[in-house]
Amino acid sequence: MYPLSMTRPATFFRLFFLGACVGLTACQKSEAPAANGGSGSNAPSPNGKPLIIGVAFETLQTEYWVASFEAIKADLKQRGYPMLEAVSDGDANRQLEQVKNFITRKVDGIILVPKDAKTCLPIIKAANAASIPIVLFNRPADKSAAKSVAIVADNFALTQETVAYLMSEAKKTGRKHKAAILIGDLSDINAIGRRDGFDAALKGNEGVVEVVARIPTEWNQEKAQAGLVNALQANPDISFIFTSSDFLFPSIVSALKSAGKYHKFGTPGHVILGGFDGDATAYQMLQDGYLDATGVQDVYFEARQSIQAILNLRAGKPVPELIRDPGFVVHQGNLQQKAAQMWGAQIAKK
Amino acid sequence: MSTAAAVEFDGIGQSFSGVRVLRGVSFTVGASRTLGLVGENGAGKSTLMNILGGNLRSDTGRMILRGQPYAPAHPTDATRAGIGLIHQELNLFSNLTIAENIFLTSFPRARALPWIDQRTLHARTAALLRDVGLELAPDTLVDRLSAGERQLVEIARALSLDARLIIFDEPTTSLSARETGTLFALLRRLQSQGIALIYISHILDHVRQLCHDLVVLRDGAVVAQGPIETFSTPAIVSAMVGRNLTQLYPTRRGAPATEPALEVRGVSQPHIVCDIRFTLRRGEVLGLSGLMGAGRSELARILFGLDPCSRGEILVSGRPLAGANTRRRIERGLAFLTEDRRHEGLCLEASIADNLALASIRSHARTPLKLIDRTGWQRAISTIREAVRLTAKAEDTQPAQTLSGGNQQKVVLGKWLLASPSVLILDEPTRGVDVGAKFELYQLIMDLADRGSGILVISSEIEELIGVCDRILVMSQGEIRGEFSRPEFSSERLLAAALPRESPA
Amino acid sequence: MSGVATDRSWRTTAARALCSDYFVLWLCVVYVAAVAPFTPGFASLDNATNILATLLPLFVVALGQTLVLIAGGIDLSITSIIGLCSITGAMVMNDETGWLAHSPLAVPAAIAVMLALGGLVGAFNGVAITRFRMPPFIVTLAAMMAFSGLAVWLTQSKAINQLPAAFNALGGRTAIALGIACAAGVGVHVMLSRSLFGRWLYAIGHNARTAHVSGVPVAGVVISAYVCSGVLAALAAILYTGQTETGSPVLGQRILLDVIGATVIGGTSLFGGKGKVLWTLFGVLFLKLVDNSLNLLNLSIFTLTIVKGAVILLAALLDSLRTRLAGSHA
Repeated sequence: MYPLSMTRPATFFRLFFLGACVGLTACQKSEAPAANGGSGSNAPSPNGKPLIIGVAFETLQTEYWVASFEAIKADLKQRGYPMLEAVSDGDANRQLEQVKNFITRKVDGIILVPKDAKTCLPIIKAANAASIPIVLFNRPADKSAAKSVAIVADNFALTQETVAYLMSEAKKTGRKHKAAILIGDLSDINAIGRRDGFDAALKGNEGVVEVVARIPTEWNQEKAQAGLVNALQANPDISFIFTSSDFLFPSIVSALKSAGKYHKFGTPGHVILGGFDGDATAYQMLQDGYLDATGVQDVYFEARQSIQAILNLRAGKPVPELIRDPGFVVHQGNLQQKAAQMWGAQIAKK
Repeated sequence: MSTAAAVEFDGIGQSFSGVRVLRGVSFTVGASRTLGLVGENGAGKSTLMNILGGNLRSDTGRMILRGQPYAPAHPTDATRAGIGLIHQELNLFSNLTIAENIFLTSFPRARALPWIDQRTLHARTAALLRDVGLELAPDTLVDRLSAGERQLVEIARALSLDARLIIFDEPTTSLSARETGTLFALLRRLQSQGIALIYISHILDHVRQLCHDLVVLRDGAVVAQGPIETFSTPAIVSAMVGRNLTQLYPTRRGAPATEPALEVRGVSQPHIVCDIRFTLRRGEVLGLSGLMGAGRSELARILFGLDPCSRGEILVSGRPLAGANTRRRIERGLAFLTEDRRHEGLCLEASIADNLALASIRSHARTPLKLIDRTGWQRAISTIREAVRLTAKAEDTQPAQTLSGGNQQKVVLGKWLLASPSVLILDEPTRGVDVGAKFELYQLIMDLADRGSGILVISSEIEELIGVCDRILVMSQGEIRGEFSRPEFSSERLLAAALPRESPA
Repeated sequence: MSGVATDRSWRTTAARALCSDYFVLWLCVVYVAAVAPFTPGFASLDNATNILATLLPLFVVALGQTLVLIAGGIDLSITSIIGLCSITGAMVMNDETGWLAHSPLAVPAAIAVMLALGGLVGAFNGVAITRFRMPPFIVTLAAMMAFSGLAVWLTQSKAINQLPAAFNALGGRTAIALGIACAAGVGVHVMLSRSLFGRWLYAIGHNARTAHVSGVPVAGVVISAYVCSGVLAALAAILYTGQTETGSPVLGQRILLDVIGATVIGGTSLFGGKGKVLWTLFGVLFLKLVDNSLNLLNLSIFTLTIVKGAVILLAALLDSLRTRLAGSHA
């Protein structure tokens, strides 16, 4: 009885499988022209052909990276440059493989969000060997013989600026504040820059703000929430909180709510809140009047600069190894005028 | 009830990948009659019943059920037509209760509500269990039931579906003598209620006791049919095997030697076996008889090191085993053909060759890398295949599960023969094996004894033990209760010794 | 009537093709032929080298997984072994802070430590599974979490670079990596097809109880299989680390699906008892071809994972089908 009833699904399955392969090919076919031509105005590159840019991200798992990715994509589209994309999902070896694929496809430039400062070195070497300009987006590589350009937000300066604004708000209340800071993963250079920026802004203002809690979060929402709840129990009079990244706000809000301390700007009991990144949650909180200020990384600026750096490198113009994105502070006072530049606002409006 | 035949097969034919397994099978099961269906394994009995049960559709021919054309597309069609199938391997869920198993596909519902009416379920199950003579609570887990009790639950399920024709496929293979008695009493009751039965079995005595009519299948064709009285047992056997089998058991040529192969001295394990003492001599075939649960298989497992024992000593060829594990015991010359061929005897999906080699392959491994000497290995495989007379149709690379029960058992036996054991323990060696193959297995066992090994045979078929053994021990309640030498053999005496004693108050 | 006959013979051919050792290789060929015309750069020498370079370490890990799957187990801890070995090796030999920095013994010592560590984790898995009768899935899942946690803790999630060039060459130079992977492949192949250990491993995978009753040292063989898997994962860690020139605690964290997927696509059964080195090689090749072509086609990451997931699911279906076919093939 078996041979009869079993071979039937076997043939069916084989057909199905081959069908799937053919179907796949068909849908690839329809994608192929898009990759070669792209849409839009086909603005000529210096030698008259649109440039193909490979964009390799380490992750697309937070809003910030998605927004950056979209910003680069939109910028390239406007220029009429086709783009190859790859996401390595946190795997450094896979990223190397993906960039090698770009090189195989003879891209004209590579924009890379590396896994970390070290594992990207062989990737940069591979691009160097193929004489393809490579730009590191938002994360610089360690010093080495490999040549690349990095675009990074000026974490230190922007945090300092943001916290300075918060300090001025604190002074206006005329009383002394107890403060908590949520610190990121200290193996991340960005987290260190932000912590140092906070401390620099604090200097000279010890009379206004006294830091009673430094909460290590390791970029983890649960840890942030638990740490803040503990801090609020130990110091119920905390009235000033800064987070090294906006993505921790949901945890902060929930900790504040359960302590009965979540109040709007201008109402009694308001806790002065500041953050960094400028994501959609932060935008919403600014609009609703809970958040005082956040330092915004200008992803549109960073995207534009990345592409420009590739063009300049191709043209043989000098390009600094590190391009800083100064960013800007969005606060209750300038929200309306800055919203258009704030990536989180664009997401929130979608 | 009409007097139309319960079922009529008309020219049923079936082929698998060009091999014809049924050819023009025609016979009739009369209303309220019991038909015995016999044949060697592979004769086509199961295929035919699968066609009747809606698991298969025949290539040619038709069936007529109580005067109506009948062509089931699915097993549920058969159920709806009043056909119940009690399988050789029982189809119960051991993690569910008796009631849940019986009503699995047709739970009584609370009126218009999606949940189950527990009270009705309970009451109806209790009534069914009474019908089949099983005194158990409906919410007993099937896990706790013996094989015989499970069989009765299967029958209760068929009755719950108003079966008018019930097929029994080897129902007694895993039953003790007493459970078989209970089953037969129930079957007679079903007969008297006008239910037609098809009874498939290798045990011709049972067929003779129960059936009105007989059909013998061989190679997919009906080779004999008629009222049971018109057949003598040898006539049935020769119809089945296609040649004259004048005797059921081979004649013993050799005789036991005096030196011991296996000595068991006071082996005990609380609640399992108690103070077992016996000596198996070289060249002796020793039978171990008893009812289910008497501790026979448990004793065998202890001897082989699969289960622990708290006291006692076991000697092989005069040297104590002293806590050796199974592997060491095999090296010392023990071999054990377990009663559970599918789970402990064979790797069903592995090839015949790999199965044959499993216990002895170590001897073909060459140091230092323990690589297998493949020519030596291959030679051993072909030698043993010939020795156990494995069917020539099967290739070495074929999975063991494609073989019939008898050939599977020959593979397990071959595996142990390759390890050249000095003591071979066989637990129910002929279960699920057809008549022809049984004879060959007995012959192999006796040949091994003639070559000087000691053989311990456990069997629930008393006739079989009488047929092959030099001496028989009877176990009951974990103890040895009797010892019989050849002249003293009789079924009655053996059975009397096997019955449990009332425990002293 | 003749129509039925040809239909049947066609089916038999299909069944035979499906059961053939080379089925997945043919699939690869069909896939390449179907996809190459539409995929820029797919059928180029450069790309072939790329595929080969990324295939080798995956193949080495998958070899270990094949052994464990044949025994009827599964090893989820391989990813943590790769990360742990990567950073331990890097800690031993890196030029900045390494314990043996600049010593001529640095590279051999680091390799020895990595392989030993892989074997140790494997032994831990094997012992927990056989002696304490815990399910392989849970044991190796726990090991995966514990050991990757350990790796992250040891380094405070920092990567270590400045590795000796001689070490980087092992994984970075495709020719050397090819030599290592071939040696591992041949070794495992001989083990499986020619050795006593191989026979025992298959028997245990088919039916551990029968194997035990037949005198196979089941626990010892199973532990050895996990040790082999651990050592091979460590070997893959050497290749991966050389490729990125960096010891990273999260190295290889995402390849678990690829490893098990590739092995099963090749035809190794998740239910034990079946598997061959050649099958695994073809499975890895197929997975890498799909991966690489989808990458070159510039499909978005979302599409890519969906398609890959579908391919692996299809392979699992294929596996169950093959199992059933093998059972009925007479």
